[in-house]
Amino acid sequence: MPKDKFFKVIANKEHPGEKLVPTHCSYCGMQCGMNLRVDTGTNKIIGVEPRYDWPVTLGKMCPKGVTAYQQTNHDDRLMKPLIRNDRSLRGTKEGFREATWEEAYDLIVRKFQEMQQSYGRDSLSVFSGVSMTNEKCYLTGKFARVGLQTRYIDYNGRFCMSSAAAGFLRTFGIDRGSTIPWTDLHETDCLFIAGSNTAECHPTSMFRIWEVQNRGGYLIVADPRETPIARRADVHLDLRPGTDLALANCMVHLLIKGGYTDERFVAEHTNGYEELAELVKEFTPEYTSEITGVAPEKLIRAAEIYGKAPNAVVMFARGIEQQHKGSDNVSAYTNMCLVTGKIGRPKAGVATFTGQGNGQGGREHGQKADALPGYRKITNPKHVEDVSKVWGIKPEEMPQPGVSAYEMFGLMKEKTIRGLYLLCSNPAVSAPNLNEVRSALMSLDFMVCSDIFLSESAEYADVVLPSTTWSEDEGTVTNLEGRIIKINKAQEPIGESKPDWLMQVELAERLGRGQYFRHLTSARAINDEFRLASKGGYADYYGATWEKIEEQQGVFWPCKDDADKGTPHMFLDKKFYHPDTKAKLCALPYRPPAEEPCDDYPLRLTTGRVVYHYLSGNQTRRIPFLHAMCPEPFVEVHPETAGKYGIEHEEIVKLATRRGTANFKVKMTEAIRPDTVFVPYHFGHDESVNLLTIAALDPMSRMPEFKVCAVQIHKTVHANKKQQSQSEAVIR
Amino acid sequence: MKQHLYIEMDNCIGCRSCLAACTQCGGHDERNRNYVYDVNPLVNRQTIPLMCLHCVNPACARSCPAQAIQVTPEGAVLSALVEKCIGCQNCTIACPYGIPKFDHEQNLMYKCDLCYDRTKDGIPPMCASVCPTNTLQWLTEDELKQKQEQHQLGHWTASRMPFDPLEGETNVKISLPGILQGKQKLF
Repeated sequence: MPKDKFFKVIANKEHPGEKLVPTHCSYCGMQCGMNLRVDTGTNKIIGVEPRYDWPVTLGKMCPKGVTAYQQTNHDDRLMKPLIRNDRSLRGTKEGFREATWEEAYDLIVRKFQEMQQSYGRDSLSVFSGVSMTNEKCYLTGKFARVGLQTRYIDYNGRFCMSSAAAGFLRTFGIDRGSTIPWTDLHETDCLFIAGSNTAECHPTSMFRIWEVQNRGGYLIVADPRETPIARRADVHLDLRPGTDLALANCMVHLLIKGGYTDERFVAEHTNGYEELAELVKEFTPEYTSEITGVAPEKLIRAAEIYGKAPNAVVMFARGIEQQHKGSDNVSAYTNMCLVTGKIGRPKAGVATFTGQGNGQGGREHGQKADALPGYRKITNPKHVEDVSKVWGIKPEEMPQPGVSAYEMFGLMKEKTIRGLYLLCSNPAVSAPNLNEVRSALMSLDFMVCSDIFLSESAEYADVVLPSTTWSEDEGTVTNLEGRIIKINKAQEPIGESKPDWLMQVELAERLGRGQYFRHLTSARAINDEFRLASKGGYADYYGATWEKIEEQQGVFWPCKDDADKGTPHMFLDKKFYHPDTKAKLCALPYRPPAEEPCDDYPLRLTTGRVVYHYLSGNQTRRIPFLHAMCPEPFVEVHPETAGKYGIEHEEIVKLATRRGTANFKVKMTEAIRPDTVFVPYHFGHDESVNLLTIAALDPMSRMPEFKVCAVQIHKTVHANKKQQSQSEAVIR
Repeated sequence: MKQHLYIEMDNCIGCRSCLAACTQCGGHDERNRNYVYDVNPLVNRQTIPLMCLHCVNPACARSCPAQAIQVTPEGAVLSALVEKCIGCQNCTIACPYGIPKFDHEQNLMYKCDLCYDRTKDGIPPMCASVCPTNTLQWLTEDELKQKQEQHQLGHWTASRMPFDPLEGETNVKISLPGILQGKQKLF
């Protein structure tokens, strides 16, 4: 890869008695390069050293990355399998005993077989995650379909990337999260960033983003909050949560009106322009301002800048995607690139900030309810045939499509699903409408959870299996650029922990399905099979060997064969992946959030991350530095709103929605809309904001609407006092 | 080749990665020695890092009755020497920026040493290595000169420039907020 202007040759600090293992961070889709410091005497990971020569991040790390290594030998690590001996204590940390792997496997196999004999194969389910390698994600899909022979598998990407995936598939016919490498970002002339708190969620993108402004380029940010990136934006579109579709349609309206469209590009490379132009006519700045709350002048200025920019990149994240119209938001913002022809060349295009470490790769290789490796569809007979051949099964043995992550909890409650194998995910914190989800977990006949720590979800399990951290195994992940990279093993697994792929191979053997798994004796062996299974699919990894990844500092998919160096820039030939090679401009009528504020629930609740925590916080809440920086959740309230309710800074208030209540400490700030409150979602038990969120699902992506619902805010001090005086009155 | 820690205040996002990284420098006993402040937390998200500026004639060392605070040939002002520090805390009072920290158990001052075991070999200090925003940078004198030319309106602190808001010369250079003022836009 060519080196960019930020690259400097820097030798690493050498520490005597140590070696450095080059790898990547365990957390978000940036997958920052890092070196783990390993004591050569004890062979334990003891620290971190920047990886200056990693071309994307050049040694930079956020505070999560700097302290990521502290997970590996953490005191809270699960060292042995746990078996629950008291089912009445489910939902708590209590009631477990340590067990041997044989005992745990025996119990799992007996229970799984009993359930499947009594209630059918589909009575079992698999709920997985994408903070694990491609090899593990691939094998988990195979394990569900071939090992357990169940249709019910889905994953936490459904709470993360599924709207981006569905939107891109509709627009382009392919879903690669970024059409350009990240090393192009600082060279573009305008960044239009919607629904991304980049400074906190993908901090190591920030030096490239600031550089656009340092060069005289523009930064436009659409966010209900004045986040650290919005604070420095040239235009901050401070919209109401859940109104992105109107904003995106307005941008296209103004781009057409201002004459910024590329007519030739539109005619030759897209379909649907007439319909789109007709639909967006209505979205004048004034009309859009009524819906979004953004001043018309700001909308006009934003469209003018984007329209005039020689090169521009549209970027977005969960802010627009975690809505019940998330897929529409993705396609609608992508329309901006297509009508102006600002795509299919370097320094211009569209990108989503992938939330989880392997959010890109993990969604491509068959963990989704309806997907098979290589982004194939389980509903397409040809695709089923291709994958069945690699797996050595008959096509008719391939299970039917399942249902999406949140919908699986519904099936648990109605006892269609009776058993759950949960790995690499913590839905008891991260799923929406948690009262429902937690009661669904309670209704299971038998649950297995594999994790590195005893997560909130593990508290519902009958068997807990200790898995390895990212640093105790190897494999590939695909970062937010679509670049396949290599995670290297830095130490042996702690205690009796095992990588998830090994558990699945060993369980398959005991379930009588060993013939399909026993040749998979290493992550590398799985990689060989997985590349073959992806061959010919949209996400073709066949040519992305570990050697090539090493040699080229990553390989961008598609990479079809040995000679193929990969595809850093998508659509350079202006050919999209629909059969007629044209991209689809989507005319998408605006619809409001599933739950709008009303007299009873007058405010909008939105949720998100803080820089110190990752996802459900199961990892980061245990790291002393990160915990010290942000030990508890809070609710951001505008002073104007606080004044209305008589609320003070740092006071504990109760938030209530139609689904649940929770108490939070007030963080008063002018950096939020007065009609909106914000709570970070990284916390468990009573501190989970997902007790309040709504599970309105996007019809295409099945993404829940985490980002907006209607909420009440109550003083608790006042309520307590009142209660107290009432009880005093009774005593008297 | 002399290199400088250079601070571009505008870029700070308050991630405190510099604090986390500070604990990871081999010589730092896993205790951070730098600070990040929320400028006006009830109003907006503006934050600024506060790092030791490594004064050329440091008040902390000047105030030390025991000559416990050494200055390296490169200009790094080190933590107090264990064998010399008498725990009087003169340095914590003398420093105009409030940098030196005091360990009451050890009766010992500790502070940023510019990751001396790294920087003496030309390796950037941990804070500037990891800073995701380039708020903290490790620059050669040539690169520093370019920065000074670029940011005509961002006043420079502590650098013997005509508009010095602070007294004395420091080895760490700061561009005050305003790097985008007067910036010629591309279009």
